[in-house]
Amino acid sequence: MLRILFLTFLLAAASAPLLARGTYQEPGDFLADSFNDQVPDPAIVWITGERKQRVREILGHDYPSLRIRYWRKEGRSAWILEEIGKDHPITVGVVIQNGQLERIKVLVFRESRGWEVRHPFFTDQFEGARLNNDGTLNKAIDGISGATLSVRALKKIAALALYLDSVTVK
Amino acid sequence: MSKHHRRKQRFKLRSFYVWHRYMGVTAALFTLIIAITGILLNHTDEFKFSDSHIQSDWILDWYGIKAPEQLLSFPVGERHITLMGDDLYLDRKEIGDDYHDLTGALQLGDMLVVSVNNNILLLTPRGEIIERLKRNDGVPAGIEQIGIDAEGKLAVRTLHEIYQPDRDFLRWQRLDNRNDRIRWATPVTLEPQLKKLLQNHYRGEVLPVERVLLDLHSGRFFGKAGPWIFDVAAALLILLSLTGTWIWLKRRR
Repeated sequence: MLRILFLTFLLAAASAPLLARGTYQEPGDFLADSFNDQVPDPAIVWITGERKQRVREILGHDYPSLRIRYWRKEGRSAWILEEIGKDHPITVGVVIQNGQLERIKVLVFRESRGWEVRHPFFTDQFEGARLNNDGTLNKAIDGISGATLSVRALKKIAALALYLDSVTVK
Repeated sequence: MSKHHRRKQRFKLRSFYVWHRYMGVTAALFTLIIAITGILLNHTDEFKFSDSHIQSDWILDWYGIKAPEQLLSFPVGERHITLMGDDLYLDRKEIGDDYHDLTGALQLGDMLVVSVNNNILLLTPRGEIIERLKRNDGVPAGIEQIGIDAEGKLAVRTLHEIYQPDRDFLRWQRLDNRNDRIRWATPVTLEPQLKKLLQNHYRGEVLPVERVLLDLHSGRFFGKAGPWIFDVAAALLILLSLTGTWIWLKRRR
């Protein structure tokens, strides 16, 4: 009996990183959720010139593409952004309302560790965050031990979404 | 102690000394390899040995690393988009990420359009990624070919349908009347010089320096017998320390 329990424990421990990877919500479903099934047409913002420089300051590197699409309706904008945690990109959905972060959600997680950032106990901390002039968030976000790089990636994505919202708002 | 016994002892000591010397010379080469690679392996992070790769042809040949012979290449203007293994190249420039299923590439104005990974990849002429369009972005599933119609617009062919995006690639629509005047992108044979360059580049990204250092350290670099030879060298080092100590003690007396 003890042997079975031990083997089960070993199997669970070994498979945890595999279970962590995956799609938690399809980007299309995230958008539908965010706009009550009435998703507006997408628009695009180019990351060139001064924007490219600011994005580099926020992320510490260039964004992997030169243009990003977003969805805006009635003062709210939604963004599907990616940032590498350690080795692989984490896909995150962010909703901004009036320059303030309303919702952030991990949609696809591809890293082998650090998946704890997908839980609401962590993502809820971002609610109400705004962008400081230096490109950081105006709220302190508590980290998670063992998930430092994923936490950092989410903070960067939140800041990036707030910045892009500010340059695209009419 | 008799004279005979002393002579016997001296002979024994000399004999030990000769053995000690031969063992020392034999083990010296292995000691050097183990010591140098050991020091280097202790500083893998500082020297970035896990991120840098071996470029030497003979070492890559020794490891049996070969580049794929079959390349899929599409012309884009005067240049080529080529898929080799899971690497995608614009001429010699590698476009980062892993790729598969290259079904077409073409130049559309000042933009390059590549159909790969069942996505549409938009590139600048310098090979920077403008955007990676996926299913969620409205890209039709199962793209088999891409082409340009008579008006210079992109067309995408799936098994049963042909689709066209708007100017910004935000919305896609099915073409009802099939346009027979679409020029579909077709693969070409890559010129041998560029093919060779890409194959060298591909091979030069496979074997990390750290792997070779580890193999040199353990002896695996020298084939199946390598670890056994290094075991013998390690045993010789143990014997050396024992015989050295023994000779030193005998001489002191």
